[in-house]
Amino acid sequence: TTMSSGADFAWPAVFEFPPFFTLQPNAETRRKQLDQWCSLILAYCKHRQLHTLDINEALASSPLFHNKRINRRINRPFLDAILADLKLRGNLEWLDRDKKSCKIVWRTTEQWAALVYSYAKDRGLVNTVCTLYELTDGDDSADQPFHGLDKDVLLLALKHLEKNGQAAILMFDSHEGVKFL
Amino acid sequence: TPNLVAMRRGRGVGVGGAQRHAAAADRFKSKGGQLADQELAQVSAQVGAFRQHLEEFARKHADKIRRNQQFRAQFQQMCAAIGVDPLQSGKGFWSDMLGVGGFYFELGVKIIEVTMATSHKHGGLMDVSDLLKALNAGRGAGDPVSEDDIVRAVDKLRCLGNGFTLVTLGNRRLVQSVPGELSLDANSVMRLADGNGGRVTASACRTALAWAPERVDRVLDQLVREAFAWVDDGEPSGERAFWFPSLVPALLAA
Repeated sequence: TTMSSGADFAWPAVFEFPPFFTLQPNAETRRKQLDQWCSLILAYCKHRQLHTLDINEALASSPLFHNKRINRRINRPFLDAILADLKLRGNLEWLDRDKKSCKIVWRTTEQWAALVYSYAKDRGLVNTVCTLYELTDGDDSADQPFHGLDKDVLLLALKHLEKNGQAAILMFDSHEGVKFL
Repeated sequence: TPNLVAMRRGRGVGVGGAQRHAAAADRFKSKGGQLADQELAQVSAQVGAFRQHLEEFARKHADKIRRNQQFRAQFQQMCAAIGVDPLQSGKGFWSDMLGVGGFYFELGVKIIEVTMATSHKHGGLMDVSDLLKALNAGRGAGDPVSEDDIVRAVDKLRCLGNGFTLVTLGNRRLVQSVPGELSLDANSVMRLADGNGGRVTASACRTALAWAPERVDRVLDQLVREAFAWVDDGEPSGERAFWFPSLVPALLAA
């Protein structure tokens, strides 16, 4: 997947507004602010094709959380509030219990799951087994939006299908595979 | 001559109004046989004639009313002098005929749309000149609205209790699209902010306005509580700064 540089990302005007980097005390204002942060993070990650966020690293060095021009950065409690919001919307999954790193899912897990399952149905893959590699890197899926998808995100989507009885995740020869049901 | 007062009082806005009209007509009809029908026929005929006159007037002048601010203002004054208010809130008899009430009704709706759509930028206080630009950007070349039109439309909205009022800040006028009043003190603080790129601190207020600290804190607290101001705790000095999105041009330009 190509990585676009952060330089051509269209930063929203609010990113230059110093108060944007302080968690607002007014509930109504805070709601707007969190919405704007969530949109910003998803748009930025989508633009740069980023799927994983290491929290400490991002806080320390990501241009997302530090505007050098106005000398403002968000702090950990504020980031926690934003990430909690993203989790509620289905756009974030924690990768570990200590909340050190997470997946940013700019398509929700449900959306990826639906795309994968409809592909499986269309191509007659139900009741057959595919490897995850086939799905993300196979020639047959080259035209699909999930082609090149981060493996962890794909697994989250497949686990969702598994919960709904639409798939079963398998291990064979130390490769992960999935049987669509 | 038809009873204009009764007709006007019978104006109902929306579905409820239509239903009341229908119910009244039914009651009138059921009141008695032929005599009631004859009276109804008479009123209808008179209304019909009156309507024709109005239609002619509308055809002759409605276009001018829509396109010419001066004529519009003069028409308003004329109506006020004879005790008629064409600026009805709904699509009533008068507004449909003359297109004038319709004009302000539609303008009011557009004002609501524009202020709501940009509310995340200005926080519920929109400069009239910005509103004017936004409204005229969406219209054809021959149909611009004036600040006077906005003032009238906002006044109409205020009467409807939509939470819309006009606020004066020095020589600026802003449309407040959230309920609640901007106190005189809040007004002073915002004027101070306006001269400083949209930002104030408590210490700046104490100095510039010569107010006691409690008074400053109370007003700033009110402004934050009513979502006019955002707080910024990232200043190098460590003092909290208060910013007003409606007074920051860069936020509105986007």
